[in-house]
Amino acid sequence: MAYGLYIASFVGAIAMAMMLPRARRSGRGGGGGNGSAARFGMLLGAASLGGVWLWLSEQLLPAAESWGISRPAMVYYYIFSAIAIVAAVRVITHTKPVYSALWFVMVILASAGMFLLLDAEFMAAAMVIIYGGAILVTYVFVIMLASEPGEAGGPGSGGGIGIEIAPEYETVSREPIGACAAGFLLLAVLLSVAFSPIAPNPEAAGPTDAQLLTSVLTDRPAVRLSHITDDPRLAEVMSVNNIDNSERVGLDLFESHPLGLELAGVILLVSLVGAVIIARQQVPLNDPPTTSPTLPTSPEA
Amino acid sequence: MIESMHAVTLGHFLMTGAILFVLGLIGFVTRRNLIIMFLCTEMMFQGVAITLIAFSKFHMNMSGQTFVIFLLTVAAAESAMALGLVVLLFRRKRSLDSQVWAQMAG
Repeated sequence: MAYGLYIASFVGAIAMAMMLPRARRSGRGGGGGNGSAARFGMLLGAASLGGVWLWLSEQLLPAAESWGISRPAMVYYYIFSAIAIVAAVRVITHTKPVYSALWFVMVILASAGMFLLLDAEFMAAAMVIIYGGAILVTYVFVIMLASEPGEAGGPGSGGGIGIEIAPEYETVSREPIGACAAGFLLLAVLLSVAFSPIAPNPEAAGPTDAQLLTSVLTDRPAVRLSHITDDPRLAEVMSVNNIDNSERVGLDLFESHPLGLELAGVILLVSLVGAVIIARQQVPLNDPPTTSPTLPTSPEA
Repeated sequence: MIESMHAVTLGHFLMTGAILFVLGLIGFVTRRNLIIMFLCTEMMFQGVAITLIAFSKFHMNMSGQTFVIFLLTVAAAESAMALGLVVLLFRRKRSLDSQVWAQMAG
């Protein structure tokens, strides 16, 4: 049954290895890989992904009544998933770090769309705000801060005449074939597990709305915003008897994982202190770049 | 109340999560720019988040989404520390190449 997945993983590994940036590129900046091989790899990867989806649709279509998400949602799954995977490939094949970061924003947005399909509205918003808004801004800031001057492109970089030539460590990947083989071997195993038959565990199901309203949320305010709308469907969603996703997540966070919440706060505090300590270390600016035999010792007390 | 979903539907979302994880893994191993390496770890986090939320809907249990909050916490802490370290390393050697620091190995 799982041979299709294995074959697709194998083809995907070949495609990925062809798309990774290699040596012997023409000086054109921006693109990943070397020209025709990268383009062929792109086609091959798209073919393997589309082949898997076509092959899986044979199993999916007979169960159309019990998908758990509606038919348009399944279409949106394919769109978001394709965007996420293509953007992820561009993140690891692009030779300019700023573009990689921007493609990663695309991954975030597409997976936030998938969270919406999975009824996780709060996590979709949090993902866009925290990842796309905070973490990625930090990354882009550091990329700008640590950008190389044009002539110090590392050993073996081309001449330093053209400013747009990416440094050698961007255009030559390290062990592309071995990494793709290992990665897609892992992917084949993960996929064979992912499509193994599994049933939802009824004991794992959280409490229903009615149970929550009678046990935990007894003093919930009786009037919500449902009176401000004329649309009956919207009023039903906004009624008191409907607990929305952010409320559920908050209840689970504070009811079931209070210790984890405290530990998360401690982690954030420690990383804040650690980042400050790392950032305030003084580094002599005029030491010779790479050829010093001994590392400059850390001025840590 | 959310309803559960079919196992093949779950498999689709798990597949996307696994592909994102594996692409992040490959990127972490192959890329030599320190910043992109840590960007790839964020992509692995993203794959794990999709997996957690898919299982959260499959088993109708909110703990999966709660764990994504913790995952976001760890990702934010990790990126703060990692980028501070990257800036420090860049100031030492004037290069983002991870191979420059290969003498630290072993």
